[in-house]
Amino acid sequence: MSEITLRNVSKIYGSDDAAVNNINLDIKDGEFMVLLGPSGCGKSTTLRMIAGLESITAGDIFIDGKLINDIDPAERDLAIVFQNYALYPHMNVAANLAFGLKLRKVPKDQIESRILKTANTLGISELLTRRPRELSGGQQQRVALGRAMVREPVAFLFDEPLSNLDAKLRATMRTELVKLHNDLGTTIIHVTHDQVEAMTMGDRICIMRKGIIEQVGKPLEVYRNPANIFVAGFLASPPMNLIEGSFEQEGDSLKIEVSGITLTIPAHFANAYGNVHSRKDVILGIRPEDIYTDSNDGRYTCMETQVVAVEALGPETIMVVKLPGGKEISARLDRSFRAPIGSALKLYADIERMHLFDPETEKAIVAR
Amino acid sequence: MHKGLLKRLLPHVVLLVFSSAILFPILWMLRVALTNKMNAYQIPPVWGNPNFNNFIEIFADNSFMGYFVNSLSIAIGTTLIALPLAAAMAYSFARYNTGGLPLRLAVLSSQMLPPVILVLPLFSLFLKASLLNTQTGMIIAHITISLPFLAWLLVAFFEGDIVIIEQAARIDGATRLQAFLRITMPIMAPGLLAAGLLSFILSWNEFLFALILSGPQTNTLPVGLSSYQSHRGVDIALLSAAAICAILPVFILLPLMKKHLIKGLSLGAIK
Repeated sequence: MSEITLRNVSKIYGSDDAAVNNINLDIKDGEFMVLLGPSGCGKSTTLRMIAGLESITAGDIFIDGKLINDIDPAERDLAIVFQNYALYPHMNVAANLAFGLKLRKVPKDQIESRILKTANTLGISELLTRRPRELSGGQQQRVALGRAMVREPVAFLFDEPLSNLDAKLRATMRTELVKLHNDLGTTIIHVTHDQVEAMTMGDRICIMRKGIIEQVGKPLEVYRNPANIFVAGFLASPPMNLIEGSFEQEGDSLKIEVSGITLTIPAHFANAYGNVHSRKDVILGIRPEDIYTDSNDGRYTCMETQVVAVEALGPETIMVVKLPGGKEISARLDRSFRAPIGSALKLYADIERMHLFDPETEKAIVAR
Repeated sequence: MHKGLLKRLLPHVVLLVFSSAILFPILWMLRVALTNKMNAYQIPPVWGNPNFNNFIEIFADNSFMGYFVNSLSIAIGTTLIALPLAAAMAYSFARYNTGGLPLRLAVLSSQMLPPVILVLPLFSLFLKASLLNTQTGMIIAHITISLPFLAWLLVAFFEGDIVIIEQAARIDGATRLQAFLRITMPIMAPGLLAAGLLSFILSWNEFLFALILSGPQTNTLPVGLSSYQSHRGVDIALLSAAAICAILPVFILLPLMKKHLIKGLSLGAIK
């Protein structure tokens, strides 16, 4: 149980640009925090600084209000699960679990009971006498998790622990980890580049890019209100369609022209945007799931498009279409929907759910 | 169909030619060593009763036993000193990046020079330090060959997956020393063993340094063999027996080393 706080934390390797650049993050007691971002965004480096495996170039890290910058990793009482598990290959599973407890001089009978308890929880009781190389990837993963759990650390650090598993096992482990977190209530920091993991597992997501934090928030909050173009384009698959356009003032109504289509911004909406200049450039964001094949009694805005590609995924059909101005966007449609490639297609956008971004600052223009 | 067969056969034919080129002299040597002195020179070969008389004779001969013991003690001495030093050096390179790339290259560069360039200054140094014709001198000389080579080999081991495993141990609560002794060392054991065997073989086979720096009391097997003479002059059968004895340790150790070298490199890796 612990609170982890990062204050103006930076990591600079040699003369390179900062791998982590002056980040601030408050992870609450018992929270499942996901650090999400593309490779090289600094999420793993951040985790390793918390663990003590990387030195901190600048800033402070606190656990429960205690400064830990100069505390040896062995003394931080954190547990980490690595991507490739890093089990001790020369020890059997039981010895792997016992290693940390022995170092902490836990009494022998207690070590045994804790190993058994952990092994039962994770369903690895039959594997206790096996060596890591005799285990499948999924089993190794459980053992690595067990090694972390058995010590009852103040917080768990997960460094992409699911990315070496096959898709089916990964989905199972996702739910199991969430269940485990609910049972244990221990603070977890989970690093991943997989946005499905982030959406489904995290209490909150911290999205990073190039060493800085782009947005922190609850998964659905971040999905509904991306703070900038990067977050909008990173979360969900297929991601939000981002189309360059410009504002047009026509009498009382504010319109946006994007790729050969003119969209009228709803009146109550237009007010919220305040006094935007006519001709001002803007980036319109609309999620593929906010595009439909019917107009919902005229409430949605019609777009004349041409079909470029059809991805029938089974549960849904992803349609890639070209707007009159040439811009390609994707739409998430009903699984039964089909249209020949090259054919003309009328699609309807729920303009109420659009997002607008400033092309210069890349930030969302209005947070609704 | 025919093309496929040819494609599969061709590599084997090529390999057969090359391996017989290497194996033939050794097999011939074995034949000579096992025959008596009369038949040794016969061409076409005469297959008399094979026997071990030549081997018995050379081991009864003091000078050969001397070479053998010299080689053994120098090779073991070299390995016992070079291996821990190389391990420490490699660990320091791998974990602390000691000296950076320049030092690593400097270590390797000593291996790039022709040995004959190193042996002459070594000779004059040993002359001043009275190390010529001593086992200590020979061990020092062989360490200069082994150490850089072993360090280079072991750096690769220390930089592998073991880094993460060591970190896991550190997070588990181990101090640096505990992680090194209880995790790194046991996992590295096959790699260290392979490196040790390699060091032994390097020293055992080394000729040039031994030729220049050793003397009558410290001649190693390669030097001894090159001038092996019995009281009746050069005896090809005895010489063959001696040569077989000289290469035997290498024949025994090489497969062992190969096994551990691969194990050392792949241990700790995800299968």
